[in-house]
Amino acid sequence: MQAWITPPTRTEIIEGLVSGVDRYNPSNVGILEDYLYHQIRSEEYDCLANLAILKLYQFNPELYNPDVVVNILIKALTASPLPDFNLCISLLDERPINATLDEPDPLPGLLPILNGLHDLLNRCRFPAFWEVYRSEQLENLRDNYTVECVGFEDSIREVVIRAVKTTFTRIGADRLGSYLDLSGPQLEAYVKKLGWTFDASRSVISVPPNPDNQIEATVVQESIKLPQLTKVISQAAKG
Amino acid sequence: MAQQRMALWAAEADIDEDVDLSLALGTYGQNGAFDDAYLQQPQFDESTFIAMQQHMAQRNAFAQIPDVVKSFIIHFHQAVQTNNLPEITVAYESGWNKYTEKFYAKTEWPEAEIIAPLVNDDPIFLILYRELYYRHVYSRLQPNIDDRFHSYENSCELFNYLLNSDGPVTLELPEQWLWDIVDEFIYQYQVFCSWRSKPKTKTDEELATLADGDPVWSSYSVLNVLYSLIQKSRVNDYINAQQQGKSPEEIAEIVGEYGQRPLYRMLGYFSIIGLLRVHVLLGDFTLALKVMENVELNQKSPFTRVTACHVATYYYVGFCYIMLRRYPDAIRTFVTILNFIMRMRQYHTRSYQYDQISKTADRMYALFAICHALSPSRLDDNIANIAKERFGEQYTKMSRGGEEGPPAFEELFLYACPKFISANSPPYNDPDAVLQLLSAEGDSTATDPTHRHLNLFLADVATQSQVPTLRSFLKLYTSLGSKKLANFLDADEEEIVQKMMVLKQVSRSVSHVSGEERGLLDGQTIVTSDLNFVIDESMLHIAESTIGRRYAGWFIKNTERTQRIYDDLKNSPLPVVKPSSQPGAQNAAASSSNEAPQKGPKTGQKVAWGGAKVVS
Repeated sequence: MQAWITPPTRTEIIEGLVSGVDRYNPSNVGILEDYLYHQIRSEEYDCLANLAILKLYQFNPELYNPDVVVNILIKALTASPLPDFNLCISLLDERPINATLDEPDPLPGLLPILNGLHDLLNRCRFPAFWEVYRSEQLENLRDNYTVECVGFEDSIREVVIRAVKTTFTRIGADRLGSYLDLSGPQLEAYVKKLGWTFDASRSVISVPPNPDNQIEATVVQESIKLPQLTKVISQAAKG
Repeated sequence: MAQQRMALWAAEADIDEDVDLSLALGTYGQNGAFDDAYLQQPQFDESTFIAMQQHMAQRNAFAQIPDVVKSFIIHFHQAVQTNNLPEITVAYESGWNKYTEKFYAKTEWPEAEIIAPLVNDDPIFLILYRELYYRHVYSRLQPNIDDRFHSYENSCELFNYLLNSDGPVTLELPEQWLWDIVDEFIYQYQVFCSWRSKPKTKTDEELATLADGDPVWSSYSVLNVLYSLIQKSRVNDYINAQQQGKSPEEIAEIVGEYGQRPLYRMLGYFSIIGLLRVHVLLGDFTLALKVMENVELNQKSPFTRVTACHVATYYYVGFCYIMLRRYPDAIRTFVTILNFIMRMRQYHTRSYQYDQISKTADRMYALFAICHALSPSRLDDNIANIAKERFGEQYTKMSRGGEEGPPAFEELFLYACPKFISANSPPYNDPDAVLQLLSAEGDSTATDPTHRHLNLFLADVATQSQVPTLRSFLKLYTSLGSKKLANFLDADEEEIVQKMMVLKQVSRSVSHVSGEERGLLDGQTIVTSDLNFVIDESMLHIAESTIGRRYAGWFIKNTERTQRIYDDLKNSPLPVVKPSSQPGAQNAAASSSNEAPQKGPKTGQKVAWGGAKVVS
């Protein structure tokens, strides 16, 4: 969890904001927002820093910037199955209709869509995710937001890979392709990059062993720790 | 104790006399005609008249205070003035509650202005008195808008005195009271926020006051107080220094003139817990755990002396873990504190906070049941059994999955969750927006913060709804084709494979591994289920870990118990060998006749047994 709590890419200034009292200072919102856009351009991710933006919005509704919120949620989607998306939603207080925005607020329209995408990822319904994501309805989200988020589709694929490699030792190429929304040479290249082996003759992909896809029936024996025995031993020593 | 106190008050008779004098005047004041005669002022000024009336009213109110309460207040004031902690504790924990029950169960205590003459207008004592006064209003009566605003102002005055005097103040208060001050401050903030969030129930006057009362109970001001107390006391540095085993001199150096004083140190620590709570109420579960990063959750810290604080800490930490989907951590947190509460119960039934603690404990049993249903574990059978006993019906529904699950989860979540609040006020200062809010149709539960968190939680639960069914099937096999499993469940094979990935996902959780991490947020991925499986193309392989029987706990417990009995026996006085005393003891046990002691030991015994036989 260390990398999630303190990503190595986080700068000292941001660390100061995330961990200090300065996180409440509304005039720092710009620094954090710039950092978010930096994450979007450079395929970095810092959940706690983004939550700090939402916290400032929570306390200072006048700072609210819907585009920033949408981008934070898009970034949080790619963290599945960690609860980041929910943590962000938790901070989105119900806000009165905001008259100060120049344009209509895009968030109320996008929120159900993002919720839906999150739900699909959380339920490992990856083919359905791609279908919805590529649908005409989501054109607005794709053209205005995810297109700006460098490597968005690949980071969704990483969500898929996290789920697949814990569950499978071998998986059919068609199945994996449908999860990754890749096929043919693209799929082969992707699998190769992962270091997984592709058996072309049977069209099956082998997932290398990892702690989660190795199963073993074990009997867990109890282990007695010394502190449990302190009283007994000290009595014996006295006697 | 009570006797001693009476004696002390009796010694204060002089002051009482004084008081009685004005009291007598007060009763005369009830006679209006007499007063008019007094007011022989040629120019009749309305404001003087009002002031006079107020004065009379105050006198009347003063006259109505029972004498014992007056003496109590005087005594209380002296205890505070002399920093006499034992006396303050008695007055605070028993005296106040005793007179509340006796005289003020359904009405306010006398206002601070009225009792001011009793305490020589001591401003600090009056602030403390008001703190108690408003707490009583909030807990026993219905606070009106003035109470809400004034209790905030009083809290500000108190914190201002503590933080902005020239250097640390010399005041000393019992730890329990210090905790109650911080706890109550946040409670009133929470109550205010939820009251504020319902514009439809407000009178026009209240709406007008809210329109220009913006900074009152604002989240920023509350956080400001808590952070100031933490920083002033340098309590985080204190905790770190303690953990590093620094000497008292070094620690004193580190924490500075404020942190050396118990009052500031405890307020600083309680403010950390207060922040934890505020962040949870506002839905920021990561920040809540982050502010706790220096605090070590264990039973040994000196800060655990205030039980109410100790219990609240675990409740909020455990709840954060639930919202972070870290159910094993939540379970561990609840088990620790519920065992603690059970052990401490015998000492706490007398405490005035016992009710509150056992209510929180009940809610934690409900949260435990939720976690246990989502992530079955065998951490503590004892607690699990109690939870199942209390919430058996819901537990069965939750752990079975399917359609009946969500309503049961919802019921327990709403029962046990904190009282969430919105950080911001509805736009009372914007008349148009208020009108819009007032005319809005339907209720607001769909958008209130509690339901926002509930819905997120229920969405997580829904993801897992098929998990119990899948587990029960897998338990029957060591290998199984995914198509076959799909047939059993009357589902599409691809759908089942996706559900298997979910099953795998929920069998893993981030969990705090003791000793290795720093802070409550840190953790490592662990396996939470003893049922493991893997898919090889379309064949499922299943392996189950079983837990061998546990003997150690039983043996350790019984060894310790035997040792205790042995020690007790060894330490109890040997029976005195006087011939007459032995049968007496035996007779008492057998509840025999009173003739027995007069006879010899042997006959006495016979009588005892004989008596028992006759009865049977």
